[in-house]
Amino acid sequence: MSDGAVQTLSRALRFVAPLRGRVVVKMALLVASVLPLVLVPWPGKIVIDHVIEGLPLDPATYPFFVRPFAAWIAGGSIVEILLWTLAAQLFLLVAVGAFGAGGRERDEADAWLAGGHDTQTRTENEANAGFSLAGGVLGFLDLRYTMRLTQDLNHHFRSVLFQRLQALPMRAFDDERIGDAVYRVMIDTPSITTACWRILLTPIGAPTAIAVAAAALYFGFGEHPALMWAALGALPIALFATLPFASALRRRSVDSREAGAVTTSTAEEGLSQVLAVQSLGGGARERGRFDRDSWSSFGAYRAVLRTGMAAFLLGLLPGGALAGWAFLHTIDLVIVGTLSRGDFLVVFTYFTQAAIAALSLGTLWFELQGAAAGLSRVFWLLDLPSEADAPAARTLAPIREEIRYEHVSYRHSDGTLAVDGVSFSARLGELVALVGPAGAGKTTLAHLLPRYLEPSAGCVRIDGVDAASVSLASLRGQVSYVFQETWLFDGSIEENLRLGAPDASAADLSRALRLARAEEFVTQLPRGIATRVGRGGSQLSVGQRQRLAIARALVRETPIVILDEPTSALDPETEQALVASLREAGRDRLVLVIAHRLSTIRSADRILFLESGRLLEEGTHDELAARPTGAYRRFLEPGPFLDAQPIGA
Amino acid sequence: MSAADGATGAATCDEELRGGEGPPGDEARASVRSVVRVLARCLRLLAPLRNHLLLLCAGFAGLTLLLVPPSLLFLDLIWTRALQGEPLPELHAWLLRLDPAVSVHVDALSAELRRSVARRTIAGGVGLAMLVAPAAMGLWYYQVWILQRLNQLLRMELIERFQNLSLRFHSEARVGDAIYRLTQDSAMVTSLVEVLLLTPAYTIGGYLLSVGLVATVDPRMALLLIAAWGPPLAASLVLSTPMRVGFRAARAANAALTARIQEGVVGMRALKAYGAEAREQAVFERASRDAFDAAFSARQRFALYAILVFAGVSTVLAAAAAWGALETSREAEVFAVRLFAATGLGAWNLGLFQWFRDRFGDGTNQLRRLFRTWGRAQDISIGLTRVFEILDLAPEVVDAPDALPVEGVRSGLRFRDVGFQYQDDRPALESIDLEVPVGGITAVVGPTGAGKSTLLALALRLFDPDRGAVELDGVDLRRVRLTDLRRAVAIALQENLLFGTTIRENIRYAVPDASDDAVRAAARIACADEFIERLALGYDTPLGERGSKLSTGQRQRLSLARAVLKDAPILLLDEPTASLDADTESRVLGNLAAWGRDRAILLVTHRLSTVRHAQRIAVLHHGQLVESGTHDDLMALGDGTYWRLVRADASEGPES
Repeated sequence: MSDGAVQTLSRALRFVAPLRGRVVVKMALLVASVLPLVLVPWPGKIVIDHVIEGLPLDPATYPFFVRPFAAWIAGGSIVEILLWTLAAQLFLLVAVGAFGAGGRERDEADAWLAGGHDTQTRTENEANAGFSLAGGVLGFLDLRYTMRLTQDLNHHFRSVLFQRLQALPMRAFDDERIGDAVYRVMIDTPSITTACWRILLTPIGAPTAIAVAAAALYFGFGEHPALMWAALGALPIALFATLPFASALRRRSVDSREAGAVTTSTAEEGLSQVLAVQSLGGGARERGRFDRDSWSSFGAYRAVLRTGMAAFLLGLLPGGALAGWAFLHTIDLVIVGTLSRGDFLVVFTYFTQAAIAALSLGTLWFELQGAAAGLSRVFWLLDLPSEADAPAARTLAPIREEIRYEHVSYRHSDGTLAVDGVSFSARLGELVALVGPAGAGKTTLAHLLPRYLEPSAGCVRIDGVDAASVSLASLRGQVSYVFQETWLFDGSIEENLRLGAPDASAADLSRALRLARAEEFVTQLPRGIATRVGRGGSQLSVGQRQRLAIARALVRETPIVILDEPTSALDPETEQALVASLREAGRDRLVLVIAHRLSTIRSADRILFLESGRLLEEGTHDELAARPTGAYRRFLEPGPFLDAQPIGA
Repeated sequence: MSAADGATGAATCDEELRGGEGPPGDEARASVRSVVRVLARCLRLLAPLRNHLLLLCAGFAGLTLLLVPPSLLFLDLIWTRALQGEPLPELHAWLLRLDPAVSVHVDALSAELRRSVARRTIAGGVGLAMLVAPAAMGLWYYQVWILQRLNQLLRMELIERFQNLSLRFHSEARVGDAIYRLTQDSAMVTSLVEVLLLTPAYTIGGYLLSVGLVATVDPRMALLLIAAWGPPLAASLVLSTPMRVGFRAARAANAALTARIQEGVVGMRALKAYGAEAREQAVFERASRDAFDAAFSARQRFALYAILVFAGVSTVLAAAAAWGALETSREAEVFAVRLFAATGLGAWNLGLFQWFRDRFGDGTNQLRRLFRTWGRAQDISIGLTRVFEILDLAPEVVDAPDALPVEGVRSGLRFRDVGFQYQDDRPALESIDLEVPVGGITAVVGPTGAGKSTLLALALRLFDPDRGAVELDGVDLRRVRLTDLRRAVAIALQENLLFGTTIRENIRYAVPDASDDAVRAAARIACADEFIERLALGYDTPLGERGSKLSTGQRQRLSLARAVLKDAPILLLDEPTASLDADTESRVLGNLAAWGRDRAILLVTHRLSTVRHAQRIAVLHHGQLVESGTHDDLMALGDGTYWRLVRADASEGPES
């Protein structure tokens, strides 16, 4: 096993730490469910030796754990012996789900449901794995305990992952495909079950089972130590037969999971873009893509299967040789008369138990390889740099005065300079418009204020305090940002409005709706504010969604409001009314608006004109428009400014 | 006016979907028959794989039957001959290549001969296992391949259905739920074949074989094996419904969780901006808990059921073994003496006892598998019901049987007295008469929520009008082949849907084999060329990867270029320039007007600056067409809707 896999697994074990008390209980249950196996072969021996062959029953020939029962039935008729033995078997059956020698006479409780034949659908069983080596009453109780334990572990693990998703920097979500993230959370996290339980429990359960078998052989047939050693010999054989395949299996397992993620991504993209797909006639192509991806994920799963089969077949050879030798040796002992035929059954059963346990230890490597593959994908996500407060981050006091950009620059990771040495300040009470051609850096500049991005050079000061030195929560708690692309979640309008202010009163909500000019259409809806907005707000028009997004920002009553092209989907009348109410709402706050429309720009107290990341001009509309050769005036010229003149005139 | 303006519609398919997640009362009524019915529906899906399935079953049956005689021989040789030292029947001696003089015609075998019987039997057994194990694995691998193939077929059927469902469905259903159905639930079909076909075939076949073999030993014991159905049947009667209820709840909870994650990730930016992370986390954890609780309750019922079934059939097996032991101690004669005489086994002996115990055990074990599968079938049928819920949603818009092809467009689109209503009774459009002729831009303006986007949806036949007709060259769209119509129409939307490939691939999405020159020409018309060229990787810039995030305006221009490249005779534009600055907007529209001289362009907007380049303007208000004409015509009306809109746009007009 590679170092990487070892690291991954030991890291997984750390997630079990909070549950260690319960894991110890589970270990005790495990041992308790293995111990009764020591009794299982003896009723068969009693039946063969004393019922079928009619040999006299001497309790002294039985090991100490069967002797009391043997003494109890000794001296009875054949039928009495048979019935008592049957009763003992039925008791074992109800208590621990085992009653006879063969594999099918033992029950191991699990709640494994049917899954598909690919990696993805099998993991739901893992997330809810409840299992016990016993059946019957003990098995059921053990299963319930284990399933809860597994679930708690999985719940904890995926909650941590989800939390980490939320702590990723704002722009990380531009990069990663959503389907992949969903896949990671849902599909890969259950690997932790296999990893932790197999690491923690198999090394206890399997050796215990082998030790129980060996000890029983020692107590029952102490004069033939070879039998005990044969049982113990199953262990090294199982381990060494499977090791050579470990790394091949891990590689295949990684392939299989990646193929599954691609399938999910393809499906996600195809479905969420269904409008584009339909209107552009891409349906057949999307289907083809999905067909290919899905089938190759099935193929990857089959490759995992082939590797496992090869390993199994190869392990059969040394295991078969050992079993054959032990078998012959025992038969020899019967032939010379040292052992009875019932003893043969007992020895044979213990061998089988030891072999099954050894096999589960041998496949431990395999299953851990697969689990490590799933877990490394989860840990990759956990290890992405996340937004974090500086170690000594302070709480930002309520903003009273102003914000100030000081020689702020921002460079994209591809090297382009999006914001280039911008300095300006803006006071509460102002309505400031960021204006400039597409790609001028307006949005990037705005993102720097609530620290969705960190400046590459310079700093943003709020009331004189460097924004980088305060806690994110206290900073973002005072800034409301309305994004270019509005996002509403599939809940009621009210729930959406309360996103940033869960405690807002009904009056607050309706005031915000009124200010955002959304009140009219909301009250016209049959269910009003309780109307569900559909996925991504799809029950509403784009303009309605924008107004709700603005209302959502206003509900928060923050000192700073940033609107990133908030009104592009509104008609002029609505927009004008909206701007007017923003003015009114913004008397004691700073409203920063990125806008194209003249009517919005004109009502700003101040205009910051950006081009190619630089702040070119600053002033009121009248001042800037009056500069005959100004960049702002040139920018406006072909637009609505001139167009509107003859109408107004 | 909520949905009227969004092309995505307001109808609720929710009812149909929730129907599946109804109250537990439904479950209680759902009978064995309902499970079987769902399973039976899948038989149709098996047709393409029929031959493979038959071959597979034949393979397994052959292998099983082949192993019956060796198993009897093996146990007899070990127990009766090697361990007990009884003389060999002639058949055994011949098979083991032992001299009949010392092995058959004697009272008992010598110790030396017993050892060599044991050695040769075990060598033969191991040799046989070496042959059988790879064959069995091969069959199993073949089975996995067949089941995957089947799963693939169902997935494809599902995704095709998803694509063809009208947009009303997509506005309602959650993507996460759909994905869950697509991958998790559809996988159930493979389990289904195992359940419906393979497991019953194997288990019932194996069980009948056991009953037959046991009957040759003692028919009364065969009756006991038949009686072993009793306990598991009783457990099924009691527990089937609770299991089904539990499984449905578990699946619904899991689908909800998937949707929750999907939505949380999509909206992450807003959640972070509004400091709602903690609340979202709480919601997620609750959904996760709910999913686990539901799974716990369902799975423990299943585990209990499995334990009861095992205990039931095992009690019968233990009793039969005790009975067999008594018969062996009496050395009773077996029933089919003649059949066994051939192998030299006429009466119960130790080897036969072991063999009988194994065969009876096979029988009860097959019963156990069969009933365990029945328990899983409860879950599978729930999974499949959810799949069929999708397959059963009929696409609303379908081709008429005699649908006409579209070959070029001569005169253009025409809305003739069109009325349309979303399902909640708010009229979206009322008697619209509008012509969109070939030759330049026809603009539809109106305040937010006037029904503009609905107009576009009708032109694209995403819905059919309730009244009147939309005509293409005088032919009702309902009589036109849908694929042809969609081919003749290009569209650029308010919301810009781009794919996670390169810019080039995005632009030629509708025309995959378009040349680079054509891509560039289209980009130039949409004024996208200028910013693309400035990107380090140009047209090969991958979207959705580090450092290449586009602004809304840039995305808008890409989707416009995509529509232009399609080179369709009809172009539908929904606020195509809403996020562009005035200068770029004006250039884009100028380009479009020139490019569209021999096409019909329908432009929907509320921005009057956009309208300047239109040849004709129609004004929509509250779902009605109130004015139409050129800009000058409409301004001349004075105090009309258009006039008021223009005035609002410019009311703070400079130096007026």
